[in-house]
Amino acid sequence: MEKSTLEAQTLASAIDIGMIDLKIAEFYVTPGGFTGLRYGENDHNRITLRRAFPIGNPEEYISVADKTNKEIGMIRSLSELTKKQYEIVVSELEKRYYSPTVFEVKSVKDKLGYVYMELLIGKEGAKYKKNCAIKDVNKNIRMLDDDKLAIFDVDGNRYIVESLVNLDKKSLKRLEPYLF
Amino acid sequence: MPLKHEFHYDLDPSMLPANGTVSFDKTGQVMSEIGDTTLCSLNAKDMTELSVNGEVGCGFLFAKMKDESEVLICRFTLSCMKSAGEFCKVVNFYIQTKQYVNPEKRQLPVCQKCGRPLVEGMSVCLFCFNRIGVLKRALGLLRPFAAKMIPAEIFLAISSILYLLVPFFSRILIDNHLRPMEGTHTQIIVLAGAMFLARALGELIYILSSRIFNQASILYANNLRNLAYEKIQKLSLNSLSKRTPGDLIRRVMEDTGIVRNFISDGGRWAIEQMIVFVVVLIILLLTNWQLTLLVFIPVPVVSIALSRFWRFIRIRYERQWRKSSRAQSILHDIIKGIRTVKSFGKEDLEIEKFSKATTELAEVSSDNEALWALLFPTMIFFTGIGEFLVLYFGGQEILTGSLTLGVLVQFTMYIGYIYGPLRWLVSFPRWLADAMTSMVKLFEIIDEEPEIISVEDPNNVSLSGRVAFENVSFGYKSYEPVLKGIDLDIKPGEMIGIVGRSGAGKSTMINLIMRLYDPSQGKITINGVDIKDMSPEYLHENIGVVFQDTFLFAGSFYDNIAYAKPGATADEVIAAAKAANAHDFIMQTADGYNTIIGENGYSISGGERQRLAIARAIIKNPSILILDEATSSLDVETESIIQDSLNTIVEGRTTIAIAHRLSTLKSADRLVVLDQGKVAELGTHIELLKKKGIYYNLVMAQRKTSKIAEDV
Repeated sequence: MEKSTLEAQTLASAIDIGMIDLKIAEFYVTPGGFTGLRYGENDHNRITLRRAFPIGNPEEYISVADKTNKEIGMIRSLSELTKKQYEIVVSELEKRYYSPTVFEVKSVKDKLGYVYMELLIGKEGAKYKKNCAIKDVNKNIRMLDDDKLAIFDVDGNRYIVESLVNLDKKSLKRLEPYLF
Repeated sequence: MPLKHEFHYDLDPSMLPANGTVSFDKTGQVMSEIGDTTLCSLNAKDMTELSVNGEVGCGFLFAKMKDESEVLICRFTLSCMKSAGEFCKVVNFYIQTKQYVNPEKRQLPVCQKCGRPLVEGMSVCLFCFNRIGVLKRALGLLRPFAAKMIPAEIFLAISSILYLLVPFFSRILIDNHLRPMEGTHTQIIVLAGAMFLARALGELIYILSSRIFNQASILYANNLRNLAYEKIQKLSLNSLSKRTPGDLIRRVMEDTGIVRNFISDGGRWAIEQMIVFVVVLIILLLTNWQLTLLVFIPVPVVSIALSRFWRFIRIRYERQWRKSSRAQSILHDIIKGIRTVKSFGKEDLEIEKFSKATTELAEVSSDNEALWALLFPTMIFFTGIGEFLVLYFGGQEILTGSLTLGVLVQFTMYIGYIYGPLRWLVSFPRWLADAMTSMVKLFEIIDEEPEIISVEDPNNVSLSGRVAFENVSFGYKSYEPVLKGIDLDIKPGEMIGIVGRSGAGKSTMINLIMRLYDPSQGKITINGVDIKDMSPEYLHENIGVVFQDTFLFAGSFYDNIAYAKPGATADEVIAAAKAANAHDFIMQTADGYNTIIGENGYSISGGERQRLAIARAIIKNPSILILDEATSSLDVETESIIQDSLNTIVEGRTTIAIAHRLSTLKSADRLVVLDQGKVAELGTHIELLKKKGIYYNLVMAQRKTSKIAEDV
């Protein structure tokens, strides 16, 4: 284990993965409603933030690209940002990665090859019902890790069950046939 | 009539659900509102473009302004992406032409019942379509086979009734003739013979009915399969690329098979079981209504239990199916990538991965089998409880003399007949649902409207004239334009090279010329005629194309070359092969042009494959030749051989070529440099080098790479 870490360190030191120097970086909200970045002498008036590990490690290794999709650099960890900068970046990431949490599975119906679900989704303090149709459940209801589940509907929208263990019994029972 | 274009979106700025609307009116005003609150108001006259951007699970609409700033208009879930793309088209058309499209002409297909936009590629609303409609339609397709089906059903009814005569004869035999000193041998022989005849005749008629049914159901499935297959051939690449080959094959082969089984077995049995149930019930009631009621005592409980049992067991078997599917998928991956697995020494890891999947499958299968072995016989036992009740109470009646032994035997025999349909009726809904699922999948394909539509009266002009792109825009997804406002004139006989970075839209341009897709805006003309006004078949017959990944069909060299021109003469095939420098290697094989590709270990190299593809493309002497990276996968020496043959072939033909190796296109009359979906540069090789723009940079980058290669 030690050896592989050492090798990784050697490789990482040999290849510059281009971390952003946060001392000269300033994220801001543009008048048009986008997120921009002043980086040294450059001003990027619309940037795109992408998570390198959106499933297991969403707050580390964030890629920052300009509007031509060219990577400006990466943020190693959001914890390195100041509070104000953190809020801007997280707000942009939350808008880019829109995957409402599933709090409850109200009903599941299997009809002619499609699965119809009524879900209670959203975020704490703002939950709402959503009816969705799922085609090909083998592909579109899938475990992201041992406890996290993603549901993709026919339009491509995604809904995340953050923890199957914490889901209420009735919801779990309704989902169970589609878990494998 | 709507006065303005509207796009309804579903998220507010903080990503919570909302009912928002972006409107666009005649004055060019684009306004985003949620309820009474205006979030954004802009004028299209101040914009250069209205765009949609897809994110993860959502998207946003934004305007690029003339002062180079960008303004976010609204955010929405992916359910709104298609409508957003359509909305952009209308506004962008206005920005470019200052013409306002009538809102009525741009209505997206929505469900008439619930108002939801239909999912792309589906003609029915997923939330509203009903089972009865599907079943009616499937049965409607049976009409041509009614002449066979109806007699088969009549035969089946006769056969069922003949079976039902056996218990009746048994009763007469027991009650009237199986009496010591009273019955005669003749009477016994007559009745036994009658039973034998009823049974034998019933079987014969049943066999006849089955044969007719099977023939009809095979024809029905064949009809359905051909309908689906014909539709697949006619659908556009856009529609087909949304489905995997496996999915399409499953629909044509497996789903038609499921429907066929349902019609041949399910349909037949449904009628047979119904007849048996009704007839037996009447006989039982007429014989002894009190005992009949006893038969039905366990039925409600058992029916409910059976129904739950099926639901329960089905979920478990679906899980088993998924585990099996996962294990197969892992195995498929490992075998396909065995070279990589071995190269990285990951055999143990892959063994562990597969072993875990198969162990899980074995556990689930074992649990299911154990459950099945326990539950099914238990269910059967409880279903038959009525028989014991009848025996007990019927036996008592015999002892009191109010019932004869023959009647009781007849009764118990008929009970067996009545429980069959009852058990069957419980599982029938599941069977019906599975068949309807397959029917829906088939109808999805059959009902899909081809995007490339042939005009009724095509204007098939000669393709040797000028090819023109007139303000052509196109995107594989309506909200993601790949080509934007392309204008290009290609003179007759000219060779045009299309260059640009990956994803710049090079292959898309040639896909549009071949009319594999239609432009979402603008038009492509040949000799001044819009290619939409020509028949697609005519267009394809007169365009020769060589792709990077050549697909050769199972068959001989001859078959593959003549594929583009069925009925081609030997002279034509050899001429095409010679022009493509394929003749020599073909003649070195033992069977010459009759050599079956891939047979007896004769596998062809990449260069040979491409030469066959060129021969196939030119055998029909096309007016337009398209070369899409035709030589890019080949080594320099092979490329040079093929390039020689191409140089001869392209003479006098309008040729459009794409190549990553820019040296391949040096001889082109003009080069089109695409960048971000637009024509960025146009000119000869020398002119573009002098310009020191994108093309110059591409050439320099390639020279640098070649230099490195040479240095090595």
